[in-house]
Amino acid sequence: MFKLIRRNLLRNKRRTILTVLSIAIALILLSFLDLLLAAMSGVNSANANRLVVRHAISLTFSMPAAYEQRLAALEHVEGITIMNWFQGRYIDDRPENFFPRFGTDPDTFPDVFPELALSPGEIDAWRAERTAFIAGRALAEEKGWEIGDVITVEGDIYPVDIELTLRGVFTHPTDEAAERVLYFDWQYVEEALGNPGQINSFYVLLDSPDNMNETIAQAEAMFENSPDQVRAETEAAFFLSFLEMMGNIQFLFSAIGLAVIASIFFITVNTMAMASRERTTEVAVLRTLGFTRSRVLAIVLFESLAVGVLGAAIGLAVMPVVTGAISSVLATQGITFSELRLDDRTPTLVMGIGVFLGLAAGLVPALQAMNMKIVDGLRRVA
Amino acid sequence: MIPVKYNVRSLFVRKANTLMTIVSIAFVVLVYVGVLALGAGLRVAFTASGDNSTVIVLRDGANSEMESYFPTETHRILASMPGVARDADGEPLASGETMTLQILERLDGSETNAVLRGVEDGAFDLRPYIRIAEGRRFVPGQTEIIIGDQLEGEVGDLELGSAIDLGRFTFTVVGIFDSGGSSYGSEIWGNAQEFGDSFRRQNYYSSTRLMAESPAQVEALIEEIESSQQINVTAQDEPAYFEAQSNISSGVFLRLGNLIAIMMGFGACFAAANTMYAQVAARSKEIATLRVLGFRRRTILSVFVLEAAVLGLAAGALGALLALPLNGLSAGTTNFMTFSEVRFMLRTTPDVLGAGVLVATLTAVVGGFFPALSASRAPITTLLREG
Repeated sequence: MFKLIRRNLLRNKRRTILTVLSIAIALILLSFLDLLLAAMSGVNSANANRLVVRHAISLTFSMPAAYEQRLAALEHVEGITIMNWFQGRYIDDRPENFFPRFGTDPDTFPDVFPELALSPGEIDAWRAERTAFIAGRALAEEKGWEIGDVITVEGDIYPVDIELTLRGVFTHPTDEAAERVLYFDWQYVEEALGNPGQINSFYVLLDSPDNMNETIAQAEAMFENSPDQVRAETEAAFFLSFLEMMGNIQFLFSAIGLAVIASIFFITVNTMAMASRERTTEVAVLRTLGFTRSRVLAIVLFESLAVGVLGAAIGLAVMPVVTGAISSVLATQGITFSELRLDDRTPTLVMGIGVFLGLAAGLVPALQAMNMKIVDGLRRVA
Repeated sequence: MIPVKYNVRSLFVRKANTLMTIVSIAFVVLVYVGVLALGAGLRVAFTASGDNSTVIVLRDGANSEMESYFPTETHRILASMPGVARDADGEPLASGETMTLQILERLDGSETNAVLRGVEDGAFDLRPYIRIAEGRRFVPGQTEIIIGDQLEGEVGDLELGSAIDLGRFTFTVVGIFDSGGSSYGSEIWGNAQEFGDSFRRQNYYSSTRLMAESPAQVEALIEEIESSQQINVTAQDEPAYFEAQSNISSGVFLRLGNLIAIMMGFGACFAAANTMYAQVAARSKEIATLRVLGFRRRTILSVFVLEAAVLGLAAGALGALLALPLNGLSAGTTNFMTFSEVRFMLRTTPDVLGAGVLVATLTAVVGGFFPALSASRAPITTLLREG
């Protein structure tokens, strides 16, 4: 029986190949959208043990620097550092020159971000010099920076131009987007501004993820009656809030995904219909030879299933190349997401849709073949 | 030459097959048009916000109102500049405004960054297209606000008469304004000084808008502002300011749309190829007959390419038709320059629909080319035998 299916698929090789390829492409697109959505939420690089504290009104409001000590005194806090979004302009406004530039505290930063690998020598060099900065490997390679290079960032949010010297290059074990960031000593800007003592956000490392909710409640309650109330949330929730602000992008992507599925569905149905129309006589002959109705049904369904599964398999095989190519193109446009990695979910999703497509598309031709009267089939000339 | 009618009829012979191919390509068009309509809608909203005789002034170095702040004194200096137009009472047409972001909850529980714009009366004089659709304007000193038409029903508590905590004070919604399709429709407006007090940011403005005597005087006014020794600001005309915001945000949709169109286009292209191969195979006798009658290979090629084009046009038309109801749908995205949410309506403009039809036609023609080529190249004897 399987030989028969194989033969049938190979009968019109070109048609089978074209259909399989269009399924593969559509599935690549689908899972790319899925990955993009996951990557945009930044969940890949969020540390389950860290929380972010910011002003309750919105990110454009800042908190007094003195909050750091009070937060550090909370029971489960192991480490805390400051994070100020400097933004600014590096060289020009072109998107490829836009990357996150944060002012932080080199004394506490390495403890709160243990996953960012820096050598002890680099950490010391960063701490020793007010104008030193560190950059992720991906960013440094892209810009061609070497240790000791000096760059200038023109201030826009803050009316200060800063001149920074590269003293360290860090890596992130899994997330390339986390390597496209620059960190410098906020004290540099603080002094230039006349020490206003205002902080955008605090990153807090806890002793255990189990104490997350308790600490969030404590942190928010601590400043409940202060003029500057705070909002504390997990790092993952913090990243997700950026995605939420992008509006109904999730809905948009799902709508696109549905249309893509609808499109390949019709393509596959069409192929299966064409294939079965050609073989009406043949099916009748099979029946005459003693193949049962359910056998015939199975043959046509399996054939269609094979097309769907084959498309999904090819899609999965090619996907790393395609997503890699797309994300490197996006990166040059200044759009960097967490690395688009194929997680465990992707193969399941792709295969699932492949199987569904194959079965759904083969159903009508299969039922037709099954219910056909032998005499009709023999009479019809293909 | 063979009449086009021949192609259309030929496509009709295998109705089911042709129809399914058309539908599959039409879905590609639907997606492409949908994404482009998002970009177009966003562009319309930003374009409607820009007035070509208005100059917007920000702190030097700032890219958007969100990053900008300067003392109210700077605004007074700006308003008194000779290049600024004056109203009937001799008052300068100038508006100092504050911009604040506030996290608000949407109806579905997710969160958004809403823009609170603190204004004085001048804000309305400079934007005559903004008018109250329901209720009335806010009265300074009464902690009242008005909301843009795009916000109504989108964000939890915002409707006429509702009260909402913004900063230290509780404000009452007393009006909903018609934003004329502009990006101001996503904003909450209230008295500048009240917002300043509520958020403890007194005596500052984020931006000043100045009306020049005429669009032709805009350049001179910008020159005058930037050469002033008293103040450290940057000035540009409003259309340029909004153009930059629009490019960044709608560019994302354009790129996404193109990426999807290219990938899905390949898939649809294969579908078209399948259909056209089937057409060619089913009509080998016919092709042979045409050849015997003296039609040349080139003509056969053009017949099938044309047929594919007809297929593509039909798919494009269907896709565009399916996409038409998207027009006017409300959507929201981040304004990447101010990090606030801007809400707008999808626009299926003729440009956008045309691009969709073009993509469908191209897809079908590319997909149909190789089958057409094989039809034109096959020897007559083979064709006759095959049929």
